[in-house]
Amino acid sequence: MASQVVNLRVNERSREFLAAPGTSLLSSLRDTLGLTAAKRGCAQGGCGTCTVLLDGRAVMSCLVAVQTVDGASVRTLEGVARDGALDEVQSAFLEGFATQCGFCTPGMIMAAEALLDRNPDPTRDEVVEAISGNVCRCTGYGPIVDAILDAAARRAKA
Amino acid sequence: MSYKTNPIDRTYFPDEPAQDFTVIGSVVRRSDALGHVTGRTAFFEDISPPDLLHLKTHRSARHHARILDVDLTAALAVPGVVRVLTHADIPNNVFTPLKLIGVEPDDEPVLAEGKVRYLGEPICAVVAETEAAAREAAARVRVEYEDLPAVFDVEEALAEGAPIVNEYHGNNYFTYEGHHCRRIRFGDVEAAFAAADHVFQWRYQSAPIEHAPTETTGCIVVPQPDGRLRIHSDTQACFFTLDNTALILGTPFNKLRIVGGTVGGGFGGKVDIAVEPVACVAATLTGQPVKYVYSRYEEMQVSSPRAAERIYIKDAVMADGRVTGRRVTLYVDAGAYSRHSPYGTTKAAAHLPGPYSIPNVWADCHCVFTNRTPSSAMRGFGVTIADFALESQMDRIARALGMDPLRLRLLNAYRDGDLKAHRKVAEGTALVEVIQKAARMVGHELPEEYLRMSSMDRRER
Amino acid sequence: MITAVRTPESLAAAVGHAAAGGRLMAGGTVVMAQVNSGSLGYTEIVSLRRAGLGGITLDGPLARVGATTTLTEVEQSPDLAFLRGAMRGLASPTIRNQATVGGNLFVPQPYGDLAVCLLALDATVEVTGPDGSREVPVGVVLANGVAPGEVVTAVRLAVPAPGTWFHHKAMRRRLNSAAIVAVAAVVDTAGGVVTSARIALGGVAPRPVRAVSAESVLIGRPLESEVLERAGRAARADISPSDDSYASAWYRARVLPVHLRRAFLRQP
Repeated sequence: MASQVVNLRVNERSREFLAAPGTSLLSSLRDTLGLTAAKRGCAQGGCGTCTVLLDGRAVMSCLVAVQTVDGASVRTLEGVARDGALDEVQSAFLEGFATQCGFCTPGMIMAAEALLDRNPDPTRDEVVEAISGNVCRCTGYGPIVDAILDAAARRAKA
Repeated sequence: MSYKTNPIDRTYFPDEPAQDFTVIGSVVRRSDALGHVTGRTAFFEDISPPDLLHLKTHRSARHHARILDVDLTAALAVPGVVRVLTHADIPNNVFTPLKLIGVEPDDEPVLAEGKVRYLGEPICAVVAETEAAAREAAARVRVEYEDLPAVFDVEEALAEGAPIVNEYHGNNYFTYEGHHCRRIRFGDVEAAFAAADHVFQWRYQSAPIEHAPTETTGCIVVPQPDGRLRIHSDTQACFFTLDNTALILGTPFNKLRIVGGTVGGGFGGKVDIAVEPVACVAATLTGQPVKYVYSRYEEMQVSSPRAAERIYIKDAVMADGRVTGRRVTLYVDAGAYSRHSPYGTTKAAAHLPGPYSIPNVWADCHCVFTNRTPSSAMRGFGVTIADFALESQMDRIARALGMDPLRLRLLNAYRDGDLKAHRKVAEGTALVEVIQKAARMVGHELPEEYLRMSSMDRRER
Repeated sequence: MITAVRTPESLAAAVGHAAAGGRLMAGGTVVMAQVNSGSLGYTEIVSLRRAGLGGITLDGPLARVGATTTLTEVEQSPDLAFLRGAMRGLASPTIRNQATVGGNLFVPQPYGDLAVCLLALDATVEVTGPDGSREVPVGVVLANGVAPGEVVTAVRLAVPAPGTWFHHKAMRRRLNSAAIVAVAAVVDTAGGVVTSARIALGGVAPRPVRAVSAESVLIGRPLESEVLERAGRAARADISPSDDSYASAWYRARVLPVHLRRAFLRQP
């Protein structure tokens, strides 16, 4: 079977593109659509650097065969800021020193967005669980968890 | 939320010149953080140049073997395969990364030549139009081996009659200025043992540790219209990579350009020039951009870990806790090739006998070749494992003497002005003050005479 | 190399593609990892994503859980609230959004925590193949798999009565790690002694196993430390643990009684 046409709504824009059989959502985002915020860390679902929202839920995009989600809606880190203004999670990460090398950051932020969408006032344990699939090998988990709690507080005030 | 760090405690050092501490004690935003939180930071793999080719290597399935034959027929038959590189395609195939600072000899082939010395050593490189084709073709390369005896233990490797791992060295150790190891000779340890109330000897051992960066090692090489090669890499050492790659390619340094400095986790694991040379050769031979990036499996299996070390420490100790002599025999498992381990072994030697003033010190630090994955740099390499051994030793001595381990350390801590075993005078030591403060913070009581100690004791005398 | 990805919109079409040699894929957490590493060993993938096999329905104490129900849906189902603890100890929320109930039956140990629960629950697996549908005890599926061309469509289980469900999992980390030892059990008591027991273990054999030796120790005795210690030691006869990167076989056998005891005394 040759490549197939896939339609996705990505960051609220309709995108139509070709994908070869077996192509992952991650690969389509990065190599075909030029949306490189989501990263390839392990291609096995073990590191979380490729986390995006698929129909509102956090998924490891390396484990999604893109042909099987034709018509779905996808949100990546590129679609989080509005009109150039950072959202609360981004601001909290930026100001709270929650980034080091930056490679885990896109996945961490998307996992945090998924959590706060469903649970605007999470406990620290709930934050830890929400990012338990995301590896930060610089081991900056403390500031990351703090930043997500901070983002929830910022959102509550906004 | 406010982000504050503790101000600096200057009570111990009132005489130090006043400093303008505008950074320490304040929060400074990283210059790259905005890119990180918006996803715009450009890592090497974030570009997709047109006509990109993919490179995958066929790796040794043996720990130590002669290569009798390499059959590329099946690999070349895979649709999409453009070329398969062997050692014959690499202009200067044998190198060592530290040659830039005068370390000799060249001891490692970019692609294996005649022999493999560790499991996973690259033998040939498949260049193909898709990653899947490159992977499949690499798996179809057939190598005929003649197994050789392998050695996996540092002390066995140094024993009489051990198989020679790396013929470029001629023996299973790195040679330091004519010596079989890095040595420290200070005072007379044998006399110290003879005069000691106690002699304690214990053995310490560590395993290799993989850095496991979330971004695997890799590069994308893009040939430029002017004949230069632009190398997008996650190397931690751009110029180190550039210079070594140029030497391997036999090309002037100014024919290469590295685009880098953005590393998705390095921790010392991305300083080995592991991917750029062969990717540059592939890009040159095909005239197309080439991507060579490790899979997670390769990152875990073949990227260099922190060296395993084995350390024997024998101490002469007086009844009051003074350590009067320390004899250390330290083995660094370099694996099959030098990489950065000769330097790491020197660092280990430079760190002995730890931050203590011991009047008699003897140390032999061996950088040993075995048929294990080459080890290299990682966060304080040479020092970290030595510290594990030295501080474990101090705790065990304290336990054996029935003494508070902090008091044992305070008694032996080096002071400003002490002559260290390397004939350097210690300055700015502050170990005494750090221990005193740590004790106070955790509520560990120290007697008055220990609280009066100062790292400037000797200066006052 | 993958030459086709099918996303059939009916069970019949899925069975057809599977019977023709396609590799079934539900959540993709296992299959796509193999695709990405080039180790799948199939050229065609059949996704069950649109085959209409999801959803949880309850009929009295009997629950029917569709094969492509995600582990997150199980975790959040009020009807299956007794499984919430087990689900939260299984992988990360992100993976649970993708991994499915049916897929978990085919995950190699020490993964597959839900399969361990289903074995303790004595669940029934609904299977449809080219020759029609059949129902199979979950233990048989865990032991033998299903035939080529067959698709698991649902599992059926009885929701345990309050207080009769026990679950405990020992991991290297508090979250998102495979089992060193997992214990799942349905145990009834009357008059202070055990009247029936079904105990399943994970992490200690090539597939989830029933701890029948431990079960027979418990029958007629109270769920007390001393009895549980004996049951735990007895359970060593039911396991065949392996070394892996999470724990050694020796360690698993050594700590099994500890975790069996913690499961029944509901200790953390």
